[in-house]
Amino acid sequence: MPSRNVSAAYLAQAVDLADNRGQQVAYDSRGNCVVLAGPGSGKTKTLVLKLARILAEDVRAPRGAACITYSQECARELTRRLERLGLREAPNLFIGTVHGFCLRHLLMPYGRLAGLPVPFPLTVATQKQSEQAMKRIGDRLFGVGHPNKPIDLGRHRRSILDRTSIVWTSEAELASWAVGYEAELRRAGLVDYDDLVIFGQRLVSEHDWVLPLLQAKFPVLAVDEYQDLGVALHRIVKRVVFDGGIRLFAVGDPDQSIYGFNGADGALLHELAERGDVERVQLQLNYRSASSIISASEMALGEARGYQSNDPERQAVIAFVECADGLRGQAAYAVTEIIPAALAAKPGRELGDIAILYRDYRAGDIVAEAVAAARLDFVRVDTAAPYRKVALTSWIEDCAAWCAGGWREARPQLRGLLDRWLGFHRARLSDAEAREEMQKVTRLLWSLRARDGLARDFVVALRTGSLDALMAAEPSLADQREQVERMAAALAAGGPLADLDLASLGGRDGSPLHLNLLTLHSAKGCEYDVVIMVGLDLGSLPWRNESPDALRESRRLFYVGLTRARDEVHMLYSGYVETPRGRMYWGRSPFLNELERRMSEAEE
Amino acid sequence: MSNFANFSEIDVQTGDSIVIVGENKVGKSNFIRGLQLILDPGLSERDRQLGLEHFWDGLGEDKLGETIEISVDLTDFTHDPRLMAHLNDCVVDPGPPMVARLTYRFQPKSNLGRAPDSLADYEYIIFGGSDPDMAIGSSLRRMLPLDVQVALRDAEKDLASWRNSPLRPLIEQLASSLDEATREEIQEQVNDAQSELAGHVEVVATAQQISDRLIAIAGEQHAVPLTLGLAPTRVDALLRSLRLLIDNGARGIGDASLGTANLIFLALKSLELDRLVADGERDHTFFVIEEPEAHLHPHVQRLVYRYFLGGAADEQDDVPPLTTILTTHSPHIASVTPIRSIVLLRHDALEDATIAVSTATAPLTERDEADLQRYIDVSRGEIFFARGVILVEGDAERFLIPAFAEALDIPLDMLGITVCSVGGTNFTPYVNLLGPQGLNIPHVILTDRDPNGASAPRVRRRLINVLELRERGIDYRHMDADAVIARAARFGYFVNSNTLEPVLFTGGLAEAMQEIIEEELPIGDAKRAELQKWVDDLDDLDEDGLLALIERIGKGRFAQALAPQVDDDTCPDYIRRALEYIRNAVA
Repeated sequence: MPSRNVSAAYLAQAVDLADNRGQQVAYDSRGNCVVLAGPGSGKTKTLVLKLARILAEDVRAPRGAACITYSQECARELTRRLERLGLREAPNLFIGTVHGFCLRHLLMPYGRLAGLPVPFPLTVATQKQSEQAMKRIGDRLFGVGHPNKPIDLGRHRRSILDRTSIVWTSEAELASWAVGYEAELRRAGLVDYDDLVIFGQRLVSEHDWVLPLLQAKFPVLAVDEYQDLGVALHRIVKRVVFDGGIRLFAVGDPDQSIYGFNGADGALLHELAERGDVERVQLQLNYRSASSIISASEMALGEARGYQSNDPERQAVIAFVECADGLRGQAAYAVTEIIPAALAAKPGRELGDIAILYRDYRAGDIVAEAVAAARLDFVRVDTAAPYRKVALTSWIEDCAAWCAGGWREARPQLRGLLDRWLGFHRARLSDAEAREEMQKVTRLLWSLRARDGLARDFVVALRTGSLDALMAAEPSLADQREQVERMAAALAAGGPLADLDLASLGGRDGSPLHLNLLTLHSAKGCEYDVVIMVGLDLGSLPWRNESPDALRESRRLFYVGLTRARDEVHMLYSGYVETPRGRMYWGRSPFLNELERRMSEAEE
Repeated sequence: MSNFANFSEIDVQTGDSIVIVGENKVGKSNFIRGLQLILDPGLSERDRQLGLEHFWDGLGEDKLGETIEISVDLTDFTHDPRLMAHLNDCVVDPGPPMVARLTYRFQPKSNLGRAPDSLADYEYIIFGGSDPDMAIGSSLRRMLPLDVQVALRDAEKDLASWRNSPLRPLIEQLASSLDEATREEIQEQVNDAQSELAGHVEVVATAQQISDRLIAIAGEQHAVPLTLGLAPTRVDALLRSLRLLIDNGARGIGDASLGTANLIFLALKSLELDRLVADGERDHTFFVIEEPEAHLHPHVQRLVYRYFLGGAADEQDDVPPLTTILTTHSPHIASVTPIRSIVLLRHDALEDATIAVSTATAPLTERDEADLQRYIDVSRGEIFFARGVILVEGDAERFLIPAFAEALDIPLDMLGITVCSVGGTNFTPYVNLLGPQGLNIPHVILTDRDPNGASAPRVRRRLINVLELRERGIDYRHMDADAVIARAARFGYFVNSNTLEPVLFTGGLAEAMQEIIEEELPIGDAKRAELQKWVDDLDDLDEDGLLALIERIGKGRFAQALAPQVDDDTCPDYIRRALEYIRNAVA
């Protein structure tokens, strides 16, 4: 009998799946499988258990599984849940973003051999370097103050992979900007995140020999949030699965595809699901929301999905609230009326169970101001957040959680922290070096354990003790280093997070005592008892005069917001928006009109 | 391998299995040691931190500052995804065939910033592919280990001690595979045997005798009741006490001859290798046996190594995940070695270093390979160990050449020169094997002119065939036989004026040959008179008649009889030139 070195904890949990046919079918699948998972359908649980099962029953080290997901945060959540099943990241288990996968498992091992036209060793440009290069070339090509936007450049590069095609050249300015920008990066010996995926895709498409090597290492490829991952990953997946014989387990929900500006497209997942050599599984049961919220969200989407609530009896609040004084008034109403009432409505409910969702960071600024004025603790996730989440900052946060008391109950596990630390080294370390590193970091973390204290002091100690040396030695971490610097700046005296304590740094996502402030985009994958959506006015959601495609995506964004709620949804609007040209009375969001109408029709 | 032990710089390509041959002290064990530095999981970090004595001696006083590097390129792993997964980061050529490289390097510490003062400033790294940062950990060595069996002298001891015994895992597997019912059955059988033994009248009587004496000494109150029996025992302990027995259980392994113990040891080892792979503890084994000939009878050597060198694979469906590597002095083993597997280590006096050549890359055609495989027997196996080779047509030369050499004061054995009969006139496979692109062993050819009536003598075509292997772009079409022969002489290929025996007859050995014929053959007076006439007047010699007589005796037997009679004066010129040529070539 083959030896098993994987914990069998998954077996105990897998028993629960028997009550949910879709989950059980997905869990039992043997070949390629696409799981179409509506909101709250337990897709992450299904994915985590299936991964655990695959690692225990289907593959044996050095062969393993790769799990690609949308963001560093999603990866962290998967890692955390797998850890609870006794599974850690290991050489034969990859959990990370498509960029991380392309870098570590395609370009680093095979890029040189394939003669890819990128500078080795691969160094990823920092956000700043990349922005500067983009601006330099843009200004040179089109003059200062030109109307082309970096976001369009990104979309063009990500969504059009065949550069000889008419689609590529038809947007001539973007095409020449892209070529110039990339050449500028290469001159500096750099690649950017989009390059990683573009070249990853080229590598698997153009070099047949890569396929058996990849299949040998990862006979199973899992993809989470498929609808958000874009056309380059879709090509990689199709190539390695249907030409390379890798087994696919993909999970996603086309209705929640909200990253069109990244080149993502929900139709790609449908395309996979409809193939004859792929098993299609639909998860129907919603464990999250009350039935009325589920039916309201389907009305907002304008499609009947037939999702069922797991708890049909649960009462829900769905409120349309008009507030005076625009966003400011909406934020004030949320803070003074909705939140106190929501906290009182259910015993044990805390600030962490409530979220305020908005369209972009500008709205976030206004909301944050109101929340801070009311002296409520909050966590904010949007592009104006003090730092972007990357693997290193997540590692620092988890170390903080461990030092702040997590070490008592092994949440997170020290071993997992150490493995991730070793993973930051570009090269594989020798056994002796790895041992030394682990001892060093263990000693450091052990010495930094503290009940309380400022997060600032912790991060400073961690940097002097180990991080700074690592970041200096590993040029590939340059982009992440930038985020660590930002984190440190935010925590420094006078910074926006100056008062943050150690435990809060460790619990920066999902802390029960902090109100959640997020953009609608960042809210994906999250759930809260109470969801307060602000800024539901025409000119904000949707923007005015959106193209039909953009309008559909805005609608999906609205749908994502609604489906985050377990018990209460509050939709706030004012009937006008503030613009650079002054206040515009365009009315509230047409989505609200539509939803209210359909709800009342349904009641009759 | 560079700068390591006997090796200044060698690069050798091998076949599926590897048989390393070479003289004593030429570096066979160091060659294995080099592989161990990369692949042996049993070596400690300290073992891998080398000393000055491990640097190539030719570096003299300039060892500090130099780097020792040993690399192995692996191919033919793409059929097994597990091997591909192990070697994923080591690929240096996508192929086909795909090539993965593992490298051990002993170098001045990379962050030293100055010249090293001592070996304390040195470090070793083991990495995959061409990127020194891609370190290789112990897990790869554990799963693809190099497993070295040192010269099998301790087999008996290893078999006797339970801890090291290759029998142990098999017994442990047996113990864990028994179900409850079987265990109970065994327990019962032991109990039955126990009680039967204990109930035997003589045994009871002996027990009684002891009891009686106890009572006599201590009285009824203090004496305990006694019986005789085997120690009470559980099934597991019982199984552990199982030992290998030979001769129907009459004797233990300790009483076996050394050869038997070694054979059993190898069989157990081979079973263990299968088991390790089946249990997933290994994915491939580089199985090294050093000098396996030490204590095995020659015919057993041949059988055993034919098994390990891939003969066994023909009968099995799946090839075992095993690369066999042998070092040997034994022509017996060389003779069963797949012809492509020979790696020859040889001391190069000019460089003061050992060089390595391999048959894997020799320009042998498939037919050459088949011919050589068929013809290389034990005596021809010697060519792999030779410093020089004299290729001859048949047995007559094989017996006579050493005799002439002795007469000329050219001691073949001392010079390491072997006479090898190719059994005919097809020298090409041997020239391919021994030539500069093969093992690069100096060699000469002795062959007959073989006149062919009005046509060119047969030797012309024969020589052109071998010359074409040694020089490129020469057009031989317009050269007559003598021109070709003159050309061939420069390569050490020498031809007589006719056929060996008539040449000897006319070259001063007529009387000696006459004597042997008359002794060996019952010939009539007429024949006797004719023979006398040939002796009296060499011009009258009927060559065919002479050859017919000798063939009746057998050329080999005739040559053996003639050998003691030869001397310096009777040595034909072409033989003398060949012997001098090879003597100078190996000097």
